Amino acid sequence: MIHAWRLRATIAAMGLLLAVFIGRLFSLQILQGELYSNLADDNRFDRVSLPAPRGVIYDSNGSLLVRNLPAFNIYVTPALLPDSEAEIEAIYIKLADLTGVPLDQPGPPAAPCVGGRGIRQLVEEGATNRPFDAWPVACDIDETTARVLRQQQIDMPGVSVEAVPVREYPTGNLTSAVIGYLGPIPAAQVDFWESLGFLADRDKVGYGGVELNYQDILAGQNGLKLVEKDVAGSLLAEVGPGNSAVPGNNLKLTIDTRLQAITASALENRMEFLNRFAGEVRTTIGSVIAMNPQTGEILAMVSIPSYENNRLARFIPQYYFRQLSEDASRPLINHAISSEFPPGSSFKMVTAVGALNEGVIDPKQTLFDPGQITIQNAYFPNDPGQAKEFVCWKEDGHGQVDFIHGIAWSCNVYFYKIGGGFEDEVSGKGLGIDDLGVYARALGYGAPLGIDLPGEEDGLIPTEEWKRLNLGESWSTGDTYISAVGQGFVRGTPLQVLTSVSTIANGGRVMWPHVVQEVLDGEGNVVHRYEPCVLWDIADGILMEDTSEIAAGCDSLDPELRENIIAGHTVSPDITVAPGVLELAREGMRLVVEDEEGTANPYALLDGISSGGKTGTGEFCDETAFSRNLCVPGNWPTHSWYTAFAPYENPEIAVVAFVYNGGEGAVTAGPIVKQVIEAYFELKAIDAAR
Amino acid sequence: MQASAKIWRHFDVWLLATVALLTIAGVAMIRSAIANNPELVELNVVGRQAIFGLVSLVLLLATAAIDYRLWSALSRPIYVFNLLFLALIPIAGVVGFGSARWFQLATVTIQPSELAKILMIIVLANFLARNRDRIHELRTILRSFALVAVPAALILIQPDLSTAIVLLVIWLALVWAAGARMSKLAILVAVVLLVAIVLTPLLVNYIVQGYPAGEDFFFLRNYQMTRLVNFIFPNPEESFGATYNVEQALISIGSGGLLGQGYGSGTQVQLRFLKVRHTDFIFSSMSQEFGFIGATIFLLLIMFVIYRCLRAARMARDGFGSLICYGVAILLLFQASFNVGMNLNLLPVSGLPLPFLSQGGSSLLTILLGIGLVESVMLRHKRIEL
Repeated sequence: MIHAWRLRATIAAMGLLLAVFIGRLFSLQILQGELYSNLADDNRFDRVSLPAPRGVIYDSNGSLLVRNLPAFNIYVTPALLPDSEAEIEAIYIKLADLTGVPLDQPGPPAAPCVGGRGIRQLVEEGATNRPFDAWPVACDIDETTARVLRQQQIDMPGVSVEAVPVREYPTGNLTSAVIGYLGPIPAAQVDFWESLGFLADRDKVGYGGVELNYQDILAGQNGLKLVEKDVAGSLLAEVGPGNSAVPGNNLKLTIDTRLQAITASALENRMEFLNRFAGEVRTTIGSVIAMNPQTGEILAMVSIPSYENNRLARFIPQYYFRQLSEDASRPLINHAISSEFPPGSSFKMVTAVGALNEGVIDPKQTLFDPGQITIQNAYFPNDPGQAKEFVCWKEDGHGQVDFIHGIAWSCNVYFYKIGGGFEDEVSGKGLGIDDLGVYARALGYGAPLGIDLPGEEDGLIPTEEWKRLNLGESWSTGDTYISAVGQGFVRGTPLQVLTSVSTIANGGRVMWPHVVQEVLDGEGNVVHRYEPCVLWDIADGILMEDTSEIAAGCDSLDPELRENIIAGHTVSPDITVAPGVLELAREGMRLVVEDEEGTANPYALLDGISSGGKTGTGEFCDETAFSRNLCVPGNWPTHSWYTAFAPYENPEIAVVAFVYNGGEGAVTAGPIVKQVIEAYFELKAIDAAR
Repeated sequence: MQASAKIWRHFDVWLLATVALLTIAGVAMIRSAIANNPELVELNVVGRQAIFGLVSLVLLLATAAIDYRLWSALSRPIYVFNLLFLALIPIAGVVGFGSARWFQLATVTIQPSELAKILMIIVLANFLARNRDRIHELRTILRSFALVAVPAALILIQPDLSTAIVLLVIWLALVWAAGARMSKLAILVAVVLLVAIVLTPLLVNYIVQGYPAGEDFFFLRNYQMTRLVNFIFPNPEESFGATYNVEQALISIGSGGLLGQGYGSGTQVQLRFLKVRHTDFIFSSMSQEFGFIGATIFLLLIMFVIYRCLRAARMARDGFGSLICYGVAILLLFQASFNVGMNLNLLPVSGLPLPFLSQGGSSLLTILLGIGLVESVMLRHKRIEL
């Protein structure tokens, strides 16, 4: 017999265990019940993101520049495949036949839609992960194959064909600099985008141009639905109402595709002609911008070389992207806004407006251009060896030159004298580098203009301090001379050169340059209009106190872009020009074209349309030129610039053309601008006749 | 054998009723647990369990009808049969889940190690009852240990550590119940401690070198070490790895709340987030579907069964019967506690089934045979029947 106490002890142990278990159950089920209920719900409920269709983009006439096309992907859901190995094999063989994806090819695991592995490997990977999910085995197959597969789908359980939207750019590389392209969400930014409701593996985001800058408007808002799933991922039911996806809005650009095409071919032809004429690849970079000077609306923007954004639409091919990134002429950069060049004589308009407004020169007063002038070194005034000569582009000189002919003939010596002073010919020491900077900024140089495209550069207006800090040298009168003619350290983007001229053309308003005019909803209603916007006005007689007043009250301008402009200025760029100053500057520009001696007269005189313009021949010696031994002292290679507006009386178009290493401004760039302006008025006539 | 039908007056109806209730509850719970597993449904696991339950209940009554003292006389053949049965496993066994534990007889698979538990209870009870007078001698204790060590070793090499431990626990409990002095048992404990001291450097060496290389630690297989490690140091990063089952079990139990999510409606069970939910983790399945109330009632019922076994041990007419009842009680108590403790993440994961509930015919049969023995003892607890 067992001792009674030993039995009692056993029963006591039993009771103790029971108490422990019930206590633990109480703790788990009653005290922490809610926590575990939530965990159980997390297990079975899944948030499914519903993709929002991305908005499309129209040009100013309503032609589509971007649209969404279906791309067909083939998926296999491993759990739905037939049971028999032979039937599965038959399905694999048929898929391999139709799509060209190899049947059996081992390879390292990769992201969906990246090739390298066979159908069998792809399905096996899916089967071991989530067998009830559809796994892509072939991506972006052609539509015919997709249709054939859809018909045969009934005999192939587990195989499905789905259309996913991809971007198509009907105008391709003609507009790629403006439109940009899409790419996958970068791994480093996954958290940011997912917090906005994007799905990293599926959704794409803007990588350039309007696609990037207007990402928020185009993308819309992904929807969300709550579904119940079992452990294998098989969908059981939809739970709750969820949110449906909000489609992205559409954009209407200010770009006129017809003008864009003409502009592009004018630039291309001219560059090709130049290269053929030179018998070598002389120029690879060029840019033309056409803008309405009254509104800041960009009518055409061409940057050469360009890239084919359709080739980046479905996925980004590595070899093509590498080719684009490694090209020395940088096709992925929009040279119209993101590249800085010496503006050359185009910059003389800054000196002209400044000198006249500051009273450095009387417009009637003539200065003598002997072809070259010599200035003594300030520190060695009696040593002729230290003296430096400054030449005019015309070796014999222009003789006696007044204000408007100084512009018309682009007389270097005239601008040296009014810019930096010469003996006692002009009042004081000329305009001087400080005031030159003030007027350059007032006309749009030296800071971003806030265009609604990514990557705008700010150019460079040197100051005495800048030279001391960056080169460790003191500023000299010679520096002022070459700055006054847009050489030396001065840099500007084509957009800045255009803005300076269009500001003079429109009577002093620095307009906000922009490429998007309207946001449209799916039915074509205007959701938002980007009204023209004055950044500052140099002729309104009102002086801005400080930079925060730039574009104040300008609702169209994105706050972030406005911040960029403000950050580019330390003091207000606004000035007050006296009445008549801009008119005289315009008059000079008219003579550039219409005077028989005008620098643009033989190349850019328009047929039946009045215009004003300014040529520019910007000497440069960059790495490319240096490595090709082109930097011969006194005979540097030159960029070709021409900027013009028309009609002269009431300008409605302003155009800048820039050709890298294009030689003399008027010769190369002049005809391009002429073609663009003439085409603009022809298109206007055609539209009016309709 | 007493021919009289009078002895059935002493039949413990409460015990049988509770056992039958628990068996039916087990079949019902298994049905719910495998409802969404087409393969198991196709194998008719529920039907087979129900048939096993019925057959086992019949065998329970048959065992009750047979005088348990007969087994005392047959103790030696039973022991030999047990050893042969176990020894045959490596030769004729069916391999499943990495170890050979089963015999295939027609469509029924039989697990000798399960039967070994009940057979060893009989053998040990007989030995200890016969050697009551010498129970205080260390020699007796060691002899009894030798009896259990051989089948335990055979089971260990299958490998099936947990069943081997069950045998050792039964042995320890029976030796204690038979009246062994605490001082003698303390010597055993000292031996265990000594072994532990010898093993510790080996274990340290193993953890540093052998375990990462995937080697086994003597009879402990690498996966068993992994389970131990995961119980002691759960890795929070590894929710789809080794701690998954335990974590899902806790979620299942906790989300059951007070009243449970209802029969056939537990999300963890029906959507199959809970693994091995019809065997090792059936207590979690039940806790989710029937909540705190249901799980508590189950625990009370199974403790009631154990209590009735202990009661039978107290009332038995002889030492043999008493020890049989005590052995069955300990078998139930140890397995139930270990399984429930594992489900509640109080103990490491092991393959010990939950009596009455876990799917598995051999386990059910063993338990019901044990109850049959207890009833047999109860029927004959009065010395003289008038």
